[in-house]
Amino acid sequence: MPGKTPDKEPVENGGYRGGKDIDMKDKDLKPKGKKASKKEGDDEMTVVVPPSKTQSSAPPPNDADGDISMDDSDKMGDEVKVDPVVQTMNADIKSNFALLDRAVALFDARFSLRALRSISSIRKRLTPDILAQVVSETYPSSSPSSSFARQILVMVGRPDMSLGRQPGPEMEIDSEPKAAGKNGAKKEVKEVIPEIDVFLGILTQVLLHDSKAFQKGFEFSSYLVDRIRSLSRRTLDSLSAKVYFYYSLFAEQISPMPPSSQSPIVSIRPALLAALRTAVLRKDVDTQASVIVLLLRNYLLTSHIAQADLLVSHTQFPENAANNQVARFLYYLGRTRAIQLRYTEAHEHLTAATRKAPSSACALGFSQTATKLLLVVELLMGDIPDRATFRQPNMETALHPYFLLVQAVRVGNLEDFETIIADHADTFRRDGTYTLILRLRQNVIKTGIRMMSLSYSRISLRDICIRLHLGSEESAEYIVAKAIRDGVIEATLDRERGFMKSKEIGDVYATREPGEAFHDRIRACLALHDESVKAMRFPMNQHRLELKNAQEAREREREMAKEIQEGDLDEDDLGGEFEGM
Amino acid sequence: MAEHELTTVVNQLRSSPPTTPYTTTTSLLSRAKLLLLQLNALTPSPSVPVQHLVLARDIYELGALASIRAKNPDAFTRYVSQLQPLYEVLQGHADAAEAAANSVSGERNKITGLYLLLLLTQGRYAEFHSELEALSSSMSSMNDVEADRYLGYPIRLERWLMEGSYDRVWKAMKKGEVPCEEFGVFSEILTYQIRSEIASSSERAYPSLPLSSTKSLLFLESEGAVVEFARSRGWIVKDGQIYFPSAQEEEGEQEKEISQMMIENTLGYARQLETIV
Repeated sequence: MPGKTPDKEPVENGGYRGGKDIDMKDKDLKPKGKKASKKEGDDEMTVVVPPSKTQSSAPPPNDADGDISMDDSDKMGDEVKVDPVVQTMNADIKSNFALLDRAVALFDARFSLRALRSISSIRKRLTPDILAQVVSETYPSSSPSSSFARQILVMVGRPDMSLGRQPGPEMEIDSEPKAAGKNGAKKEVKEVIPEIDVFLGILTQVLLHDSKAFQKGFEFSSYLVDRIRSLSRRTLDSLSAKVYFYYSLFAEQISPMPPSSQSPIVSIRPALLAALRTAVLRKDVDTQASVIVLLLRNYLLTSHIAQADLLVSHTQFPENAANNQVARFLYYLGRTRAIQLRYTEAHEHLTAATRKAPSSACALGFSQTATKLLLVVELLMGDIPDRATFRQPNMETALHPYFLLVQAVRVGNLEDFETIIADHADTFRRDGTYTLILRLRQNVIKTGIRMMSLSYSRISLRDICIRLHLGSEESAEYIVAKAIRDGVIEATLDRERGFMKSKEIGDVYATREPGEAFHDRIRACLALHDESVKAMRFPMNQHRLELKNAQEAREREREMAKEIQEGDLDEDDLGGEFEGM
Repeated sequence: MAEHELTTVVNQLRSSPPTTPYTTTTSLLSRAKLLLLQLNALTPSPSVPVQHLVLARDIYELGALASIRAKNPDAFTRYVSQLQPLYEVLQGHADAAEAAANSVSGERNKITGLYLLLLLTQGRYAEFHSELEALSSSMSSMNDVEADRYLGYPIRLERWLMEGSYDRVWKAMKKGEVPCEEFGVFSEILTYQIRSEIASSSERAYPSLPLSSTKSLLFLESEGAVVEFARSRGWIVKDGQIYFPSAQEEEGEQEKEISQMMIENTLGYARQLETIV
């Protein structure tokens, strides 16, 4: 049995020895990373859970249960101490196998999604030991995916653990006849389904990411991606979406870091594009959504805006994608549009992104980043953002530089504006809003002119020039003329005498503006209604029940009809009488 | 063999004066491209040796400059899009080999600056800003970009154009802030552009303008040119004053449009309500 020789490492292992871990400047990972970095002391809770609970937590596949109970009795001899945390973790992870099993059996992606959702809670407590133990217990050494399992073991740094540890003793010690009698037949047939492989693979990715072994993680991810492609099972859809996510996350962390065109993220583009193609052909919504988002992020990180734009125009983002993916997609789209000066679209997308972002604290980073960009876009559109935005307690400090910026723009003070840019240049550059903010200069000037036009009915160009710190009177004249043409102010210029004369401000209610605002709101409400109708869920096979009910109803109807028929005569008689009358 | 020949072609192209007719240059360039093809260096790939890539870059750069001088924007755009991947690959080699940055980056900034200016004159602002974004992320800071002789010029021009300080654009072009002669090619287009911008804003901003001051406003040489320009835009010249045809007629149509829109919206609401209830 190959699995029994623990020191025989897989060939691929040679490469990993040399691969050094890149030490990480813990760069703020923008939206996605934030989600990950939440750690809480949930441990106490899990310690309390008695080991006996493990049995009940995984009801349907009997053999998982069997393994665990074997585990309990076996542990005593095998290892001296059994950590209860390890035990519960073990069971937690395995209970997901049951979900995955069911997902495959019923072909319902919701079970895989539930398994994926549990990753975040498992993540906090995951250690290499636990994972290695689960792996070694899950895979019998003769299983076809044993090479994969061993790969995981190598990755988590426990290459000397043997596979099929629990099943092995089980056979030898006691349960051989019993198992054969009870569920042995099932056991022979049942092998570890690839979904479980991939699920454990994801856990490995998570573990490697949390331990900052990025190079290792990247190599493992490439391996995992290859494996998914070769497996090509539809039940893997939602799992593979996750795998690609970590794949590209690892790629981002390896030096040279993203802005450089030499970053490995450039080299993973073909893989992602291939995955996108497959996903689109298969109508695999999860992978499609997450890969589109990853590609967009990828392009934007290297500032390939044209490519990002082309990607968006050539693909269709799946309508019923997960909410979080939609939020990310909208954010990246908004960013692209903002760079392309399509502010109205950018504003629309970013507003939607901030609203769709989860309101809980776990995605605070995303909300902050999206809000920052949204603020800048609003400023660029000539709007002044709502002050309440800056008062939200969890955003206040992050948004402070932007608050100062808004103040400067609102007053139209060019001097303040320049100093704020200079002071906070690093912050803005880190947020990727610097180039956008530089474009604000013209807005500051416009606001300044507007303020001037509102306060004075007539003002000389010289004064405008002095107050706005413009280069010369001539410049001021051109700038004011342009502002008049762009509809910023209602005024006329007098060239000979060199002043600007403001026109009377019309009644805003006489214009079409209130109507438009009203229309916008109604449209938003209608869209909300439509979306909530679309969001309603109907459980599978429910219609059969209804059909059954319908059939019963029909039968009842038939009976009723029969009764009526029987009583028909009476009715007829009655009718006759009526007719007769 | 081919490499040697290529080097001679490059030298020939370099030494030829800028006044060389475009046709001679193009024939030389196409010969060079054939040679590149023999070296498998026409499109950059990691397997191509660095010195061939450098040769390819030189060819494309010379071609780009030549096409600018010949006022052939399409050819220039083609050269630029060929150059961009080359620059990135070369940059990679530079990072790897720690080679002298100058020998590798070549005339990148000059070409990029020209490209930016081209985008600006063609009014392709979205692409202009996309390009700028890429620049600011590849350069260490935005200040570096602005301080660069070739890159700063189009960036400043864009800012002034957006602001409306047309006089500064004009001065920049006149006062010889133009970094090199290739950039001068665009001055004519830019002048035309700012003139029409000023004209369209003047139409809205002034009730009337005296002919004499319009001359300086539009950066025109003589009053005769002003009259001619006024005629081409359909302005009315009377007693040394220019009057602009007012835009009153549009009002009525707009009014109609509003009511049309209102009806449409209300019908839309009714329909939606129907589906909901």
